[in-house]
Amino acid sequence: MTIPYSPLPDIRSKIVLAPIIPVTFTYEDQSFSTFALVDSGAAGAVISTVIADALGIAWDKLPVSGGFSVGGTFRSRTFEHLTAEVLDHTFPLRVSIIEGIAPYKCILGQADLFQRAKITFEAYRKQFLIEFRRYN
Amino acid sequence: MKKIDFVTLLKNYTSGWVAISADYTRVVLSGKTLQEVMKKAKRIKEKLYYFPAGESYGDFVGSTL
Repeated sequence: MTIPYSPLPDIRSKIVLAPIIPVTFTYEDQSFSTFALVDSGAAGAVISTVIADALGIAWDKLPVSGGFSVGGTFRSRTFEHLTAEVLDHTFPLRVSIIEGIAPYKCILGQADLFQRAKITFEAYRKQFLIEFRRYN
Repeated sequence: MKKIDFVTLLKNYTSGWVAISADYTRVVLSGKTLQEVMKKAKRIKEKLYYFPAGESYGDFVGSTL
């Protein structure tokens, strides 16, 4: 499937284009649908505490660990009981819940979406292609 | 898949949260908080995608946490 990059409002450059994909997270009887950045540079999935709250995850009871990125240091909690549904494909998901990040931050990365699908970025065409692996 | 154009979708919303339709073409609900929008959404059968309005999303692409 070919997915055009999504235009997003931005203060500095007015519009940024990003590879965004719709995703539905499920934890127990709670579901939450939003949009995730498809990030080949991300080790694994990330969600904000706001999204974790919406899913009923008691993230503040989880062990905290520190980390660092190009944006600086951050506090993170690992949660392993989520399910993600992307384009009708459902898979278990381990996420890092990061404190203090913008509420919209939701990223799928190498440990999850990239294990499930072949993803080809065509930035020059402002689109990416996603082809889920077939499991017999 | 059709382009998800957040610039168009969010142009009339400067803050709070919105619920976007399953075909990604319109804002179905909005509110000051995510909780408010999710509460309103209980009346609606359509699948909705939640997203905050009024943000500057440039850092999303930069992948800075």
